[in-house]
Amino acid sequence: MLQKRRERLLAAAELKEPDRVPMMGFAGDIVAAYAGFTSYEVHYDFDKARQAAVKFLQDFPSEMSLAGLFGVNNFVPALIFSDSPDLAQGLSIVSGPVHDILKDKYSRFPGRELSENSSSQFIGGTYMQPEEYDEFIADPVKFSFEKVLPRTAENLKDICSPKAMATMIRLGMEMSSQGEKTRAMFADLMQLGIPPLPMGFGYAPLDYIADYLRDIPNLIMDLRNYPEKVKAAAEATVEPIFNLAITAKAMGSPFVFFPLHLNEYLSPRLYKEFYWPTLKELIVRLLDEGIKSHVFFEGRHDAHLETILELPKGWGIAYFEKTDVRKAKKVLQGHTCVCGGLRASLVIGGTPEENDRYVKELLEEVMPGGGFILAPDVAALPRETPIENLRAVYEAVERYGYY
Amino acid sequence: MMEELFNAIVDLREEDALKIAREMVKDVGAVKVLDTCKKAMEVVGEKFEGGEYFLSELIWAGDLFKQIMEFTLPALQQGEVKKVGTMVLGTVQGDVHDIGKNIFKVMVEASGIEVFDIGIDLPPEKFVEAVEKHKPDLVGMSCLIASSLNAMKHTVDALKEAGLRDNVKIIIGGGRVSEPVMKYTGADAWADDAARGVRLSNELIGKKG
Repeated sequence: MLQKRRERLLAAAELKEPDRVPMMGFAGDIVAAYAGFTSYEVHYDFDKARQAAVKFLQDFPSEMSLAGLFGVNNFVPALIFSDSPDLAQGLSIVSGPVHDILKDKYSRFPGRELSENSSSQFIGGTYMQPEEYDEFIADPVKFSFEKVLPRTAENLKDICSPKAMATMIRLGMEMSSQGEKTRAMFADLMQLGIPPLPMGFGYAPLDYIADYLRDIPNLIMDLRNYPEKVKAAAEATVEPIFNLAITAKAMGSPFVFFPLHLNEYLSPRLYKEFYWPTLKELIVRLLDEGIKSHVFFEGRHDAHLETILELPKGWGIAYFEKTDVRKAKKVLQGHTCVCGGLRASLVIGGTPEENDRYVKELLEEVMPGGGFILAPDVAALPRETPIENLRAVYEAVERYGYY
Repeated sequence: MMEELFNAIVDLREEDALKIAREMVKDVGAVKVLDTCKKAMEVVGEKFEGGEYFLSELIWAGDLFKQIMEFTLPALQQGEVKKVGTMVLGTVQGDVHDIGKNIFKVMVEASGIEVFDIGIDLPPEKFVEAVEKHKPDLVGMSCLIASSLNAMKHTVDALKEAGLRDNVKIIIGGGRVSEPVMKYTGADAWADDAARGVRLSNELIGKKG
């Protein structure tokens, strides 16, 4: 089953028809609730996260899953250590214990700033002033290390202090223990026939600046007030992000995942001028190294859909949230593997019959010709998600998903 | 002059708009500036819903509106402007995001609705308290993450239990809300973008009549 599921994914990415449409499963707090754990427990206890993932994926198996991975992206440490491939990827996600060790200001965690059954969340913030653009542009890694990290991690405030060194050592110890536990979870999942997710992370350069340095509304204002600096800052960030993303190759991962944020905010003019060129460069350079990109085009990407055709055929997977995958499939057929289509809101608020019918009608339209991966628009489901709806979706995929 | 200001705002010509608005406050009064801004922001919203403008333009327009208000509001006489209605606005329990709420807030205020912004990660009882205190026409609940959609339902339920549900119209907003989510929560309207939210909020006030 493991081999079969992996082949389904790879075939779809290669724009072919597998035996059945591959599916990226749901995840989030429902995984904890299904195993009877609080969100706090799975964020802070990796053994519980592992048990929860196993229980959930046993009943709700899929070709690709984020179940059991609890935390939020923080790309700053990852970028800082982009020249250390053995460290960089592991640092791109902040877990509960790492949040505590760093005391980072970017995120909020259950059982800490939030109640025990809330989700961990990224909130970002403003940690660079406009007059610092030049310093960032001159050396993004140095600036991220010397300025951003101390400003965003309370325990690294004085980066040369014994306290900061102790924090780094604790971080290293935690990473080592987490790495071991994550590998154990992947081994369990392989036993279940679920391909684990040795996936590298990438980040769109302008998102790095918006999410970690300026915050989104400020960045949008910067596009008006300091356009040339913003552009230069995005260009300067390409190299360290490439160095980081390419470490996926050594990990044996065929994909690098890019979660996009600003795409939906920007008009086509701004997207083409400030956002897309540097992201495109990363995707093309990774492809030259044999790595496909799996890009989550968050929100509505409709206005920018055609720009995807500028990429070489078979470059990777275009994962959509609100852009209608039927439309995307028509535009990108034969060029790009399209991913998405499942609606979290229908699983949360609909009935089993509605979910069954929805999957059936969707698959009838988007399956033909292959190159399609079924995936949730939003993977993270709430704790109270009706299980019968979830079951209806997975059963519908088995019923209608075979070629 | 009013037309010039209107066009400058709709076309997002910041310098022009600020210059004209400053002159207008002196020459024809703050009320006319406010009215013109309101009409212009409405058109910005229409352009967004029509696909001509994007969030980037909404954010620019909101910033421009805020800048104009900085010198226009202090020039208003008390009681000179009639509010269209009032709204209690907040992000529901478990969710700490506020970018969408803040973009919506500027635009809905520009449309003439007075907003009581009660914050983020709010348990249902905070909404109940705020509704008791402010007696608003509308309750706006914001939520970005799907994981907190249930909290919207709990908040509507809490308003029902407190006997306040029929006094208000409820609109839910955020990137992951939709028709099924609205039905599930028991709200009256939903919007997954700010411009739609502003339009529907005004429609709900009309209906409440």
